Amino acid sequence: MRARFDELAQAIETGCAPGEFACATIEAERSEFVRINGARLRQAGRVERAVARIRLVQGDRQAIHQLTLPGLEPGVGDLAGAVHESLAALRHVLADSASDPLLDVNRDPVQSDDRDRHEGGVVFDREAFVQTVRDAAGAADLVGFCAAGPLARGFCSSSGSRQWYQRERVSFDWSIHLPGDATGGGDRKAVKASWSGSAFNADEVSRAIADSRRDAQVMARPVMRLAPGDYRALLSPRAFADLLEMLSWGGFSARAHHAGQSPLNWLRSGKSTLSPMLSMAEDLDAGLAPGFQADGYPRARRTALIDGGRFADWLVSPRTAREYHLAGNAAGDGEMPETLRVQPGSMKASDALAALGTGLSISNFWYLNFSDRPSARVTGMTRFACLWVDKGEPVAPVEAMRFDDSLYRLLGDQLLALGDTAVLMPAGDTYDARATGGIEVPGALLGAVRFAL
Amino acid sequence: MAHPIETSSDRGAMVTAWRRRGMGYCATADLSAAGLQRAADVADRWAAIAEQCGVFEGVDLHALLDTRSLPDARSPVVDALPDRAVLLAMLREESDAMHPDPRIVSWSARLAVTQREQWLYVDGQLRARQSSQFVEPNLEVTAADGSKSQTRSLAGQYNGFCQQGGLEVIRASGLVGGGARIAREALELLGAPDCPSGPRDLLLMPDQMMLQIHESIGHPLELDRILGDERNFAGGSFVDLDMFGRYQYGSPLLDVSFDPDIEHELAAYRCDDDGEAARKVWLIRGGILQRPLGGGLSRARAQARGVALEGTANARAVGWHRAPIDRMANLNIEPGQTSLADMIASVEHGVLMRTNVSWSIDDARNKFQFGCEFGQLIEGGKLTTVVRNPGYRGVSATFWRSLAAVGDPASVEVLGTPFCGKGEPGQVIRVGHASPACLFRGIDVFGGEG
Repeated sequence: MRARFDELAQAIETGCAPGEFACATIEAERSEFVRINGARLRQAGRVERAVARIRLVQGDRQAIHQLTLPGLEPGVGDLAGAVHESLAALRHVLADSASDPLLDVNRDPVQSDDRDRHEGGVVFDREAFVQTVRDAAGAADLVGFCAAGPLARGFCSSSGSRQWYQRERVSFDWSIHLPGDATGGGDRKAVKASWSGSAFNADEVSRAIADSRRDAQVMARPVMRLAPGDYRALLSPRAFADLLEMLSWGGFSARAHHAGQSPLNWLRSGKSTLSPMLSMAEDLDAGLAPGFQADGYPRARRTALIDGGRFADWLVSPRTAREYHLAGNAAGDGEMPETLRVQPGSMKASDALAALGTGLSISNFWYLNFSDRPSARVTGMTRFACLWVDKGEPVAPVEAMRFDDSLYRLLGDQLLALGDTAVLMPAGDTYDARATGGIEVPGALLGAVRFAL
Repeated sequence: MAHPIETSSDRGAMVTAWRRRGMGYCATADLSAAGLQRAADVADRWAAIAEQCGVFEGVDLHALLDTRSLPDARSPVVDALPDRAVLLAMLREESDAMHPDPRIVSWSARLAVTQREQWLYVDGQLRARQSSQFVEPNLEVTAADGSKSQTRSLAGQYNGFCQQGGLEVIRASGLVGGGARIAREALELLGAPDCPSGPRDLLLMPDQMMLQIHESIGHPLELDRILGDERNFAGGSFVDLDMFGRYQYGSPLLDVSFDPDIEHELAAYRCDDDGEAARKVWLIRGGILQRPLGGGLSRARAQARGVALEGTANARAVGWHRAPIDRMANLNIEPGQTSLADMIASVEHGVLMRTNVSWSIDDARNKFQFGCEFGQLIEGGKLTTVVRNPGYRGVSATFWRSLAAVGDPASVEVLGTPFCGKGEPGQVIRVGHASPACLFRGIDVFGGEG
């Protein structure tokens, strides 16, 4: 992939006319995708794709063309010809373009090369993966998805910038479903689990599947149905991450704040507060995301976002910095944290159920959305293992319930404790391309969550 | 100010190997003969593994393949799109009209035009060739005052108005002149009271009905969900295989069609991406569930379980880099006979809601909560106070049975969304939804907090 990137960079340099500046980002992957239903193969295949986003700048005007490269391997197809055609087309587009006072791109010849230790590539053994999963699942109804292979991001420019990020990654997440959950209808009884690494490890995956089969046993008990109301709740790190990821939806974006579309406007203005236990930062040191952004600027390694419950800083892209006359911190254009890390608390995992006492233990939330964005009111569902706990003991699975509550309450006076260990969860999104980034959070104990349905 | 113009070109091939009991795929942008052969080899390797342990027991995959050529299909374009400069001027004019007041803090006008050429070869034979042009205009404006803010858009912040065609799509969207209107409405909402809470009659306009259809009819009827494929991600369904032909999905007024023949609707096509020819069929008729959204492969799997179902040609992929799965296409509510005025007049105590802004539904597509940009009370048979942050909750399995009136053809709008997400790996695909306004009785509505 790196060799293909170098070809792209070369083509950008040779295609740029005097007085012009050009740059490109690239997203590339060679992915094996495996879908499993009922511990059998549903759909499997490979996707090889590299997409360049080419930007041509003439004076204070710019235009962008996205081009799929003709293959991943160096020397395949006429890449230089395709890039030069793109640049020629962009010159026509620029003729229709107005000046762009927010134009800001890094013209320094920045060099970086961030690759993991599997530089020569890791062979994903398809047969071994499928056999491992089938053996470990046994008679269990396992439904899962695996994405394996290298993924990369790059930035290059006609002024010699070459910034590169590449990782080998295997991400496998699955759910174990109890009888009655094989088709539509009926009570849904399942637990969710995941494993990720830079190379497939059959022993670790087998053990993790065995653990999830054991976790699923409690779901065999009859389902409880609870009336709407307020319930004390213990959130797994995954469920707490689901809540916190809503903050990423405009909460830390300087542009969203200025556009009246941020759920954390009230926090920044002081109208509302969050728990002093809550501190979080955008932190790239986990290595899950590239250290540069689409304008070619190196990212800040760490940006404190919430500190002791107070708004600490926001994410400011170069474009937003110009528009609102702010100090930029080289955020990506979306101004969302790529690796949000939340400071853990003091609640030990072994004490968590006792601390909950009586209430809900929630493993996952599902389909969260703002029901009233300015007040950070969020609605969503419980999913997978949502258990009723009585005096510290899991009693029974609970039918999926809908909550509708403000994050200012849930992360404010209702936040009673944070787990003492934060769990790092790489992003598993595969819309259009495999995502980089992730989130690192502990579990949380909440005094009351408002369930509406 | 104008953001940079963006263009895009994306070309590649999805090569699928179909063994009798297993299939595999490989997507590549290397379209040389060697590149395609290499992709075919990778795909066949996966097919061989699937043949040993796939979900296709009892299915003869080869019986699903059809090599006969279909006539070419093309999006209807009544009026060709003008030059880019003319389109930019149109957007600029609307943008300029969207900030008449200092409380308007952000606004945008945008237009996306996508041309797609798709060829499907089966065993070396050209099965289908389809050319599409998608036009997706939108306007969005936010008004803010102190701690309050309100956003209004043309037909939803996620492009509810989107169709196939040319300039006529932009004309029909209301984009021209829409900027001033939505700015005025955002300011009106900013000063409006919150929507009241409690049970009320609910009149949903087409730009909210599209979301209601999508989430609580479309997704639960996808056969791959019912077969369990999506349980690890998008979820299952409250519908099971035994319900077809007998389940009372909604009131007798509810008629739902899968209609690929409405040419300008966003997901009109001649055949799906597995090559099955598409035609209009009924999914729900007189309130009774008739058939799922199930392509040939899913139907064959259901048949292997002993359940014979009629379905739809809806195996679709978002592009060459994703494999087809069961998707919605043009999924519509057929018009009824009640005028909008008569529906309003029949309501003593209700709310009219338009334009989706928030959506959430459980993984079986049952318990939902949706929010709209704009609400207006209906009191004593008349539209009265405008209210902000209107929302409602319900359960799919009972909600559609509260359908009390279906709007006549005059209230129908042909809408859709370019952003229907599903699948592993993920796919965001275009779907069409045409609907009249519809009236529901006794729904749990609520407002915001701010």
